Amino acid sequence: MLAYLIRRLFAVVLMLMVVTLVTFGIFFLIPKMVGTDPATMYVGKQADPAAIEGIRQKMGLDDPILVQFWEFVRGIVVGRDYTSGGETTHCAAPCFGYSFRTEQAVWPILLDRIPVTLSLAAGACVLWLLGGITTGVVSALRRGTVVDRSAMGVALAGVSLPIYFTGVVALAIFHYKLEWFDATYVPIEDSFTGWLEGLVLPWVTLAFLYAAMYARLTRATMLEVLGEDYIRTARAKGLKEPVVIGKHAMRSTMTPILTILGMDLGALIGGAILTETTFNLQGLGQAAIRSIGERDLPIIVGVTLITAASVVVANLIVDLMYAVIDPRVRLA
Amino acid sequence: MTTHRSGRRRKAAASAVIVAALLSTAACGGGDDSSDDSGKKNSANGKIEFNGAVGKVLNASTKKGGELKFIGSQDFDFLDPQRGYYGFMWDFARYYTRQLVTPKPVPGKESTELVPDMATARAEVSADGKTYKYTLKDGVKWEDGKPVTSKDVKYGIERIWAQDVLSGGPVYLMQVLDPDGKYKGPYKDTAPDKLGLKAIETPDDKTIIFKLPKPNADFEQMLAMPSATPVRQDKDTKEKYTLKPFSNGPYKVDSYTPTKGAQLSRNPNWDAATDDVRKALPDTISVTLTTNADDMDKRLIAGEYDVDLNATGIGQAARAEALNPKNRANVDNPQTGFIRYAVMPTDVKPFDNIDCRKAVVVGADHKSLQTARGGPQAGGDIATNMLPPAIGGADPAYDPYEFNKNPNGDVAKAKEYLKSCGKPNGFKTTIAVRNNKPLEVATAESLQASLKKIGIDAQIDQYDGAQTSGIIGAPANVRKKNYGIIIMGWGADFPTGQGFSQPLVDGRFILDSGNNNFSMTDDPAINKLFDDAIAAKTPEEASGFYKQMNEKVSDSAVYLPFTQEKNLIWRSSRLTNVYTADSYNGRYDYASLGVVK
Amino acid sequence: MTTSRTHTAGTGPVTSGREGFPTTMTAPLHDTSAAETAAVDVAADVPAAAIEGRSPWRIAWTRLKRDKVALAGGVIVVFLVLVAVFAPLIVDAFGHPPDEFHEDQIDPLFGTPVKDWGGITKDFLFGVEPINGRDIFSRIVYGARVSLLVAFLAAVFAVILGTLFGIVAGFFGGWVDAIISRTMDMLLAFPQLLFTIALVSVVPNEIWGFEGTAVRMAVLVVVIGFFGWPYVARIVRGQTLSLREREYVEAATSLGAGRGYILFRELLPNLIAPITVYTTLMIPTNILTEAALSFLGVGVKAPTSSWGQMLSKAITTYETDPMFMIIPGMAIFITVLAFNLFGDGVRDALDPKGSR
Repeated sequence: MLAYLIRRLFAVVLMLMVVTLVTFGIFFLIPKMVGTDPATMYVGKQADPAAIEGIRQKMGLDDPILVQFWEFVRGIVVGRDYTSGGETTHCAAPCFGYSFRTEQAVWPILLDRIPVTLSLAAGACVLWLLGGITTGVVSALRRGTVVDRSAMGVALAGVSLPIYFTGVVALAIFHYKLEWFDATYVPIEDSFTGWLEGLVLPWVTLAFLYAAMYARLTRATMLEVLGEDYIRTARAKGLKEPVVIGKHAMRSTMTPILTILGMDLGALIGGAILTETTFNLQGLGQAAIRSIGERDLPIIVGVTLITAASVVVANLIVDLMYAVIDPRVRLA
Repeated sequence: MTTHRSGRRRKAAASAVIVAALLSTAACGGGDDSSDDSGKKNSANGKIEFNGAVGKVLNASTKKGGELKFIGSQDFDFLDPQRGYYGFMWDFARYYTRQLVTPKPVPGKESTELVPDMATARAEVSADGKTYKYTLKDGVKWEDGKPVTSKDVKYGIERIWAQDVLSGGPVYLMQVLDPDGKYKGPYKDTAPDKLGLKAIETPDDKTIIFKLPKPNADFEQMLAMPSATPVRQDKDTKEKYTLKPFSNGPYKVDSYTPTKGAQLSRNPNWDAATDDVRKALPDTISVTLTTNADDMDKRLIAGEYDVDLNATGIGQAARAEALNPKNRANVDNPQTGFIRYAVMPTDVKPFDNIDCRKAVVVGADHKSLQTARGGPQAGGDIATNMLPPAIGGADPAYDPYEFNKNPNGDVAKAKEYLKSCGKPNGFKTTIAVRNNKPLEVATAESLQASLKKIGIDAQIDQYDGAQTSGIIGAPANVRKKNYGIIIMGWGADFPTGQGFSQPLVDGRFILDSGNNNFSMTDDPAINKLFDDAIAAKTPEEASGFYKQMNEKVSDSAVYLPFTQEKNLIWRSSRLTNVYTADSYNGRYDYASLGVVK
Repeated sequence: MTTSRTHTAGTGPVTSGREGFPTTMTAPLHDTSAAETAAVDVAADVPAAAIEGRSPWRIAWTRLKRDKVALAGGVIVVFLVLVAVFAPLIVDAFGHPPDEFHEDQIDPLFGTPVKDWGGITKDFLFGVEPINGRDIFSRIVYGARVSLLVAFLAAVFAVILGTLFGIVAGFFGGWVDAIISRTMDMLLAFPQLLFTIALVSVVPNEIWGFEGTAVRMAVLVVVIGFFGWPYVARIVRGQTLSLREREYVEAATSLGAGRGYILFRELLPNLIAPITVYTTLMIPTNILTEAALSFLGVGVKAPTSSWGQMLSKAITTYETDPMFMIIPGMAIFITVLAFNLFGDGVRDALDPKGSR
């Protein structure tokens, strides 16, 4: 078990290094290949040559990419010193550097945005698990009935709708037209009800999409499980149907759902770009979009790393949970 | 969406009423000068009506108190006075910075004149025009109560030289005071007091003397920019200064979080007796930044905020609501001093031939370009030449290519020009446009459609707008990419022909990177007109040269102007002492605003 | 002594739904929702390939024919493909050139269509675009080209890569498998949308002499396809793993068949069914991805029209001109739904277990 954990954690670290390296590559190598200079993006309209040179130095653009990469990784682990204009400032670990555009330290910016994204992901997740799994189970048990068909019809429509379309329609109707909800994010520590109100629409919109997917998955898995021998055995033993479904069938059904949940949640925590854009939520996804537009590499790398980290950590947790849910699984 | 149909009807009706109202305003005002004329007709206090704060002070008041609430969809570039270059930042900077001289706090065109700020008077200029001397007023203090000295002013200006650390701001003072780039900036200064710049002398704490290698009539305009703000050496946090600038103005920056907002409160050490410019009416000033411009417009109209910080105009989504008869008295429609245009590089074939350029200029559908910019109100009047009305020497009626006679373009004439250019069947070219400016892309599409009618096949290349200076600012790249037509917009950094036109058409301003003279115009006659104007003794004399310059530029047909930009901006009902100022691109003069009636 | 990997492989193509572009691939191979009408005449649990006399494709076709919902989806798909192919003819007959301005249709003050319902008339079937009055019908028709072409080519690209790596990993096993599998895990954990946006936005308009829309579309195809291959590879690898233990492969090996022969002559034909299903189900996902990228401003560039780009423009005008948002929105919805219905049907038809 311990050996397994160590191996997995090692893989996690390796993976994050590769993600960082690739991100660096995209933003430093591609502009080089096509002959544009990222430094010119940060000077004003008078583009003084000294300014461009200064920025090149500050961004470390003159160093080889592996040196830049090494400096960055070191910064995260042990902190890093920055020298500019003859003076040195220390950036404590975890140091993701300073935004090229706003000069702020990156880590506090990310910390500031994580609650928004977490609120969005967590709330939506609760809704879609409740909605999706319930619908899926009911559909599977009532297979072929009107209930099943209409539920699956709605689910199929759900996975076929782009979220930036449903989101805008929801905003148009419930926010601007009916004025039921305000659509501004309020931190939970400021006002719990405000937080709820501001997030209701994004939650429902996002959850609708995922609930549709989870309903389809749950239904299919459940149907498969119900055909398995051990369910037949359980029924033959004379166990009551709720026990068969709730205890035996649900357990196996949960396994694939858990797998997907790990990946979905991980990805969402890294920033629900489209939802955040549609509902103007200042989470990690918006930070990423904004910084891609401004080529603000330190922030892009920061968000990318958080996303990648949350995906791999979520996967790790899921793998560990298999052992709890499914006694057949042994970790090795 | 069920009320769609009735909603549309209402809107159509509203539209008719608004058009009627606008027409009547224009009729009584008489075209372009409507603001000035109607200003005289109204009482000094103005009237709460459409354009009520253009050309006059509306709700004049001296009542203090309250919170002035800005909202913006675009963040400041920097709060650091030496690094800020956005127009709204310059307007806003007067809250926490003071300069030797500053734009006059009055409505309209008169605001482009300068008045003393920290200085006791405008500069004593030597007879040869090379020496400028100022004396500081007594009682001008920093936010910690220490007096502002002439050395602080010098140190602040020196920071411009540290472009390697503090990039982004205008470098005019550097170019004028140290054209050979001898000084290396305060951070590399070997002098113990870091005041090694030879061109500025500070014989005592109250006196500051600027020594120019050669005279420049607009030098004081450059000193009025925030980049000439004093900075105290012990408070200089270099690139982090933008996050907390140290104030010598009426407000201090309590907090600034990029992309989120800022909070300002009164600076107790600011003494109103030393400041004739800033009213300092609100107790606090807040800035909220959002990414959703449409939502921002709605919140402004709902009265949740007072002013759009960026004042880039009410977006299309909220325009109908804002111009609705019940709301339109809260809307102003000032000129911004920007011209939106297309420019044809003369080193890209076939635009080396003037007739090919003329074909584009007369063949374009000017009305369609105006509509793409937002129409006559939200976009602005069709521009017929390349000087904005607020600049000395401008003549808005000057229309050498008869745009007003042929608003939809003169296809027949364009084809004639094509013939004399040797391309009777048209040609292929590329329109370069920034990908992050939807309105510019819209004008590119419009231009493409109208050029098609005269046989010119233009492809649109949407380049990375974040890299403008390296893409269209590099002439070699423009030639390589065959950018025959470049779409841009331009506003003056200071309101003279030098400030507006020189970077665009003076051949000596052509740069390998960060170039703005996209047409590659290098006409000795035009260059000389700039020299003459800059050396002129009076603004009137300079205006005469700029007028000639503008006509020469028109003759060369390198520019296709689209609009003399206008914006629709929202003015909350709470605002007092509100007026639009040409010195700040038609924005409200932020330093004068109050919120208590 | 198993790890989770075998579990996920066993449940079929359970891919993660990337936010905003739901992977319909999450629908496992054994979902029968759309195939209720399919007959039960094929013996359960007997692999289709083993039935003598009737080719598996014939059986699949028989099943598909009875699935009315899937057929309806298929008909719409065929219709959309025809629309895309014959776009110039259709626009010629029913519309105006897609980049022609019609400002007479626009209210100059607000920039919205003069006529009700977004300017829908018999001259402009879907109304006109705000500001410039371009014919929305023509732009939707041409937009179908971009959507379908990008989605299809990206799916093909992903399937080629995925099949290649999947077979190789499954067949050779050992360190080859380990490397490919870890790479797949890595790619699946990548913030894909983020990377796609980043990649597409730094790629210039002109590479290697090509420029404009073609470059954009090629980049979209490569990037979308690249992030799609691990999903395919995972399935193919799993199938290969189970297939290579079958008797016929063993027989071929003992007869001295080379690895290449076994890979391409024995294994590949048996993988065609799942691969077909996958391609069909991947197309709607790709359509949504392409639309999302265009929505975020990194898709094809103006004046080439795309549905996502129209939606993103419509965001600013939907209150005064809702039709401009509804039409491209519905175009995306109908297309994706049709592909999903059809894909579900194909899957049920090709999957022998589906008729249980």
